[in-house]
Amino acid sequence: MKLSALTKKEGQDILKNKIYLGVVFVQVFILLGTFGIALATSIASDPALLDQYGATSALKVGVPENIQGSQLESDLVKQNLNLTYYKNVSDAQEFLGTTLVAVVGFNSTNGQNLTVKTDTSNVFYPVVSSKINKAVNEYQTQKKLASSGLNNTEIQRIMNPVNLQVVNLNENHPANVALESSYFIEIMYGFIVPFILLLPFFLASNIVTDSIVGERERKTFEVLLMTPISSSMVMLGKTLPILLFSLIQSVAWIILLDLLRVPIYNPLLMFILLFFMGLGFIGIGILLSMFVDSTKEANSAITIILVFATFILFMPLFIKTPYFTPILNYIPTVIMVKIASTPNISFDIIISELPTILISIMIFGFTVRYFRRERAIRL
Amino acid sequence: MKFNLSVIMKFTSITKWEFKNTLKSKKFMMIFFLQLSVLFLMIIIFNSFVTNIESDNGISITPSLNGFASMDVLDQSGLISKSINPIINVVPLSYNSSLNNIAEGKTTGFLYVPGNVDQKIRLGQTIDMTVYLDSSDPKSSVVRDEVNSTAQIISQSYSNTLSASAVPQNTTTPTVNQESTGESLPLQIITKVMLVILLFLPLLLFGNMIIDTIVGEKERKTGEILIAMPMSQAQIIIGKSMAVVLTISLQVAMWLIILLIAGFHIDNPVLVFIFIFLTSIPIIGITSVVAAYSKNFKEAGIGLSIAYMGIVGFLIVPVLIYLSRKSFIANISPMTIVMRLFSGESISLVDYGISLATILIVSLISYWIAIKLFERDDIIFGPRPGILRLVYDLITFKKF
Repeated sequence: MKLSALTKKEGQDILKNKIYLGVVFVQVFILLGTFGIALATSIASDPALLDQYGATSALKVGVPENIQGSQLESDLVKQNLNLTYYKNVSDAQEFLGTTLVAVVGFNSTNGQNLTVKTDTSNVFYPVVSSKINKAVNEYQTQKKLASSGLNNTEIQRIMNPVNLQVVNLNENHPANVALESSYFIEIMYGFIVPFILLLPFFLASNIVTDSIVGERERKTFEVLLMTPISSSMVMLGKTLPILLFSLIQSVAWIILLDLLRVPIYNPLLMFILLFFMGLGFIGIGILLSMFVDSTKEANSAITIILVFATFILFMPLFIKTPYFTPILNYIPTVIMVKIASTPNISFDIIISELPTILISIMIFGFTVRYFRRERAIRL
Repeated sequence: MKFNLSVIMKFTSITKWEFKNTLKSKKFMMIFFLQLSVLFLMIIIFNSFVTNIESDNGISITPSLNGFASMDVLDQSGLISKSINPIINVVPLSYNSSLNNIAEGKTTGFLYVPGNVDQKIRLGQTIDMTVYLDSSDPKSSVVRDEVNSTAQIISQSYSNTLSASAVPQNTTTPTVNQESTGESLPLQIITKVMLVILLFLPLLLFGNMIIDTIVGEKERKTGEILIAMPMSQAQIIIGKSMAVVLTISLQVAMWLIILLIAGFHIDNPVLVFIFIFLTSIPIIGITSVVAAYSKNFKEAGIGLSIAYMGIVGFLIVPVLIYLSRKSFIANISPMTIVMRLFSGESISLVDYGISLATILIVSLISYWIAIKLFERDDIIFGPRPGILRLVYDLITFKKF
């Protein structure tokens, strides 16, 4: 009864705080912004997607007029490049880096001596470069093979000696993703999903320090501790609403991501992992509150701790060395990536949650014990 | 002249007092050095990105999760499975078991390379291979693209071997002369954008100091005494802000020295320092606005986070625009100028002018608002008016 009253009061405090609610809306903008950037960069860096969305007009390649009617021109056109014709290569070169991404020229009399000049700083450089390379390779091989007297069938066999057939199974239950792009899937599931889902817990550590240090600053904490309510109940009463507030936000982001067609699989497992991570974050926040004297100090300290937490949690997502894989498999964010992106989760991944759960319980347990001993009063 | 000197004396004495107190505070020094340790962490991250680039064939800033997707393979020759990116966990398995695994959703894909592939290569015949994908798994596109790109590399190499054996040696092949200008965008993002962010980081780490000096006066109820002193609110705000600007400049100088010692290539370090120092003035001005309006530390802390998101966006977006389009207007952000300065680019006076004008305008507006807010009794003593009410007062020139 006493616990529910304290929980209710803390919950109401959070919901009445316009700033906390403002930060929740800021998270919506972060989610939508990162999603939009991931979507745009995925399309801009994928030749097939650019072709699919008809955005090839940006892939401007300058060519001399003498290329018209040649095999090289048809190879470049086949790659959906937007050719702009100039009197000669040097005229085209003047626009390289401004309107043109690349300039391609050749000796029209014998079809030899190709020149390819590209502006690597252009946002479409990777796509244009890969398309030009394909066209030029095709042109070179065709020229070489044609000059040796081979027929068209033989030329095609030599030019395409590997035939890869793609067969899609389980098409009756397709993954409902916003973009069929490997880059998009990697950046969304490999970084943005764990980042977004953990944002509410970063806020939770701030709220918990505000709640405890704020009470101490207002000299109301002593009154709270004098009430006939145990230290554990005080801790629970402070922790539960903050944990619930954070979990509700994370669930809301899972639903929003689903609506944006970035489905989060195994939501229950994700919820369990987030629950324990939240417990760990809040535990650290409470522990820190016991060592500082003011909200100002708490804010500075929590910022630095969160910087370190970000480093520990997100750096592993960008480590390539296979040597660290056994350790990386137990990092919470790595587990989050696997849980979120795998429709049918294996037992190994479920087991890999255990260290995170244990560490979080230990942090929280230590905090409760320390709190009961010290009663968080430093007069 | 005498009056002006006394005005300056008053605000410099506040600055001196605040600056001395800051440097004397043990807690501040601890935070100062913790921030330096954050810089070291950043340098580690930076170096790992650069190593990542150097170890790759291409340049990628995507996460590098080993075993992100899984794929069963039946490839006795090891033709493709040996060369697949480690982002895919390759599991050798039989044909039927693999297809069952896909049907049950246990794996994302299955690559089947026929057993006679070695013989086909010897005879110069076309190699057929099949990749089965689980459409219900969002990672199927990752498996598809990785298998596809590996198959293309093998196809190119095999095609070269076949054409070398099919074509007489004296056949002429069109030569290709490839030249490239500019630095690649992802490389620029890592080497330039990350470095410029590192350099500007101290500007965002000291917001709490100005919050402490202004909101602290309100919370400790010492603001009334300060206001009653024979000095204007403008002198108080500017005096306190300058102390923070000085602290920031100290940290920026230390970070610059550390980055130079760590081997970072920074051209024009003195000009870089001056521009970062100048940028700190409007940032502290905006922070003063938040501090002047906030009732308490909690409110100020969160208000500051929101304000800094806008500031970071204003600084970084033009940098990215400049990298992709060399846009003239991108110089509106001092971060663009700093990036161009340490990259050794030649910068016209007009480009400098745009950036300096932005710094000046934002500084004037932000300090004016902060001073005006600090002059209002309802903001210092309450009841505090809402933001809409203040905007209305500003528009209608009512006692703002």
